[in-house]
Amino acid sequence: MMNMLSVTGLTAGYGRVTVLHGIGIEAGKHGNVGLFGPNGHGKTTLLRAVSGLLKPKAGSIVFDGADITGESARSIVARGLVHVPQGNTLFPDLTIADCMSLGAFSPHARPHEAANKERVAALFPKLAERWRQRVRTLSGGERQMVSIGVALMSHPKLLILDEPTLGLAPKIKDELCKAVLDISKAGVPLIVVEQDVEFLLELTNHLYFINHGQVETEIKPGDSLAHSDIMAMYFGQ
Amino acid sequence: MNALADILFGGLFQGSLYAMMAVGLALVWTTIGVFNFSHGVLMMLGAYFAWQLVDWGLTAALAFPIAVLLMAGVGWVLQATVVRPLIGRANLVLVVVITTLAAGSLIENGVLELWGPRSKQIPPLVAGNAMLGGVGVSLHQIAIIVVTPIILLALWLFLNRTRLGLALRAVAQNEDAARLVGLNVTMLYGLAFAIAASLAALAGIFLGGYRFMTPVMGADPLLKALIVVVFGGISSISGPIFAAYLIGFFEAICSYYFGLYWTPALLFAALILTLMIKPEGIFASRSRGLA
Amino acid sequence: MSVIETSAPTVSAPPRAPGRTPWMTELAGALVGLLVLALLPLVVGDAYGRHVLIMVFIYAVVASNWDLSLGYGGVFNFGHLALFGIGVYAYSLLTKLAMIDPWVALVASGVIAVVAAVVVTIPILRLKGIYIILVTFGFAQLVMQVILSQSDYTGGTQGIVRIPGLYWFDHNMVRDAKFAYFYIALAMLALSTLFLRVFVRSRTGKSVVALRDNEEYAVSRGVSLVRQRMITLAASAFFTGIAGAFYAAYQRNASVEVFGMSLATIVLSMVLLGGTGTIYGAIIASFVLTVFAESMADFGAWRPMITAVLIIVVMLVYPGGIVGMLKALWGLATRRRA
Repeated sequence: MMNMLSVTGLTAGYGRVTVLHGIGIEAGKHGNVGLFGPNGHGKTTLLRAVSGLLKPKAGSIVFDGADITGESARSIVARGLVHVPQGNTLFPDLTIADCMSLGAFSPHARPHEAANKERVAALFPKLAERWRQRVRTLSGGERQMVSIGVALMSHPKLLILDEPTLGLAPKIKDELCKAVLDISKAGVPLIVVEQDVEFLLELTNHLYFINHGQVETEIKPGDSLAHSDIMAMYFGQ
Repeated sequence: MNALADILFGGLFQGSLYAMMAVGLALVWTTIGVFNFSHGVLMMLGAYFAWQLVDWGLTAALAFPIAVLLMAGVGWVLQATVVRPLIGRANLVLVVVITTLAAGSLIENGVLELWGPRSKQIPPLVAGNAMLGGVGVSLHQIAIIVVTPIILLALWLFLNRTRLGLALRAVAQNEDAARLVGLNVTMLYGLAFAIAASLAALAGIFLGGYRFMTPVMGADPLLKALIVVVFGGISSISGPIFAAYLIGFFEAICSYYFGLYWTPALLFAALILTLMIKPEGIFASRSRGLA
Repeated sequence: MSVIETSAPTVSAPPRAPGRTPWMTELAGALVGLLVLALLPLVVGDAYGRHVLIMVFIYAVVASNWDLSLGYGGVFNFGHLALFGIGVYAYSLLTKLAMIDPWVALVASGVIAVVAAVVVTIPILRLKGIYIILVTFGFAQLVMQVILSQSDYTGGTQGIVRIPGLYWFDHNMVRDAKFAYFYIALAMLALSTLFLRVFVRSRTGKSVVALRDNEEYAVSRGVSLVRQRMITLAASAFFTGIAGAFYAAYQRNASVEVFGMSLATIVLSMVLLGGTGTIYGAIIASFVLTVFAESMADFGAWRPMITAVLIIVVMLVYPGGIVGMLKALWGLATRRRA
């Protein structure tokens, strides 16, 4: 099977500060991909560059056989590469229904709008109950659900999740993890940044350890890396 | 009875004009987070476009919509030249104040050069006069009072009932998230400015139909529109609309009881008092952050 | 590294911002600048040229004081020109109606502007960003409306004419080809600049900048937002009021046009073109913009349009204003030499 996404030699940053130094990852060949590593070392920057929020300074990004380097976020979404950013910062004054409607803004997602809406409602019954409620009145976990729901409305071929369980209470976190696993089982490949090792290992066995804006270690499926080694990387030896 | 009719009519009329102006200002603020200080000049330019078209022999029914459409284009161009390139600057609000002021000065002096300082007048929407509750009023003013709420309602429906309107509101709230669902942020910024400029042009046509036009005719309406959005809160469209009518009535009552001279002073005093008590405006529940 | 620099300032450490220039260097530079300006009348032979320079100095005082509240304080006081206008009318009324000595009235006008600044600060003490713009804008309009409505004293839209001018012993102020006014204006600019630079270099000035850059942190370190904001605005008002008074004395008439948008636009573009938070930038920009506008007198009606385009272009191309542009050029030149 071909790679869905391959990033090679990507250099990017903000202003004069370079965060990514020629980073490269592949996704799609071995199922889901997990990214981990210390904060402030480029995970989020990498995802922002991939989804077109940030113009890379060098390197290339190929998605679904097409070079998307430097394309606008809009056309990247239209290609089916959908990014759920960190911190569930959505549209606070829109209702859940409004958000879902916006999720299907892309022309390629319109025909699937009704079906995707049912899918989201089935995945997050909690949201279906309060369709007309404003996002700002929701809890952190519920907002994260809306974020993921909006992404599903965009009819993704590949879904990027940046720390979906950050700062959530254990109970709602379990609920969310289950939903993410369901999405994956339904056949949407994922790229996930996550601090929760257990969850990440449950989701995928293809991992990248990102440090200093580069891939320090790649763990491919079948690599015999002990759980404890991964834990050591997580917590910096 | 006469007093009541006077105040009612005056309030509705002024309120309509203020609402037309303020809504455009608020729309640009909520979507882009900048204040367009050339809004008054756009109003003036719209009126001059209409005048020129009528002067060329077009009927008002044709000239007015064309002028409004032309102004949509002007708004778009204005946004693309003096606003969009600045997006992302740390002191965006401030810099846009100065670039839109400068653009306004450019247009104002251009109009002066092109059409001269002599005041002009465009035909009223509806000619003729009527007696209403013992007060003589022009049908043009009645038409404005009737047409304005219809246009504002259409705008409200557009923003709240269509996907494009929804997109405009979304961009205002979170630009990154808007990009990530595939919204064309650049296009939406242009659209916000185009709509605002069209509404300003309409206000200009309203005003030019019963008062003489001059190149500086937009200065006072801009000022009033600013006051309206401060009163109404700048984070929504409905807030300024209510505030516009409220201020229209406030002025009508003040000028009836205290005279025209003291009305502006009273209005500003009320404005400052309002801001001290409720800085985010009377009708606003929140304010757009200004980092 | 920074510790070493502050404890033992060495000449080799390159100044990175005007605020960090050593005292002596800045003073020497300012004195040279002052000397050049003082000798200008020798080069600019005609009274008209001196008139342009006098206007430059007035603009420079107003713009650089605006830079104090805007650039350093981060408070967008759109009513700054109202403080200037208050200076104009305070001087006019004090000298014409109250028959007070012009020099006393000049200083008193500055004090009155300070009082007005304190009054306008009260409603904006707790406001942020755009709301400050709107309230101060409203304040300026309010002042204008009051002046218009009190036409018995202020002449309303007619304004005030035949205002007493300044005097200098027995010197004839009218028939000296504007030499005396030139040097008084220059002295005013020099004093104002000295005051502003000492202020921004002082502990108070630093706390004001700290508030602008990180309000919560500064407040948590014991800096009072209310007090510093009031001090900044009051400080920016004094010489602005005096400049207004001087303007009235020089022009010998006063009108509400000083409250208009066009004057505010010009002065504000001086502040922003110069680059905020520098004081000197605003002064340089006043010079550049005024001389530029005057040099295009032949273009007539096109002049304001060309000026507007220039303002837009500089804002688009140089975020740091003229000072940013000069710094970029300086950086380019020094890099090439090295």
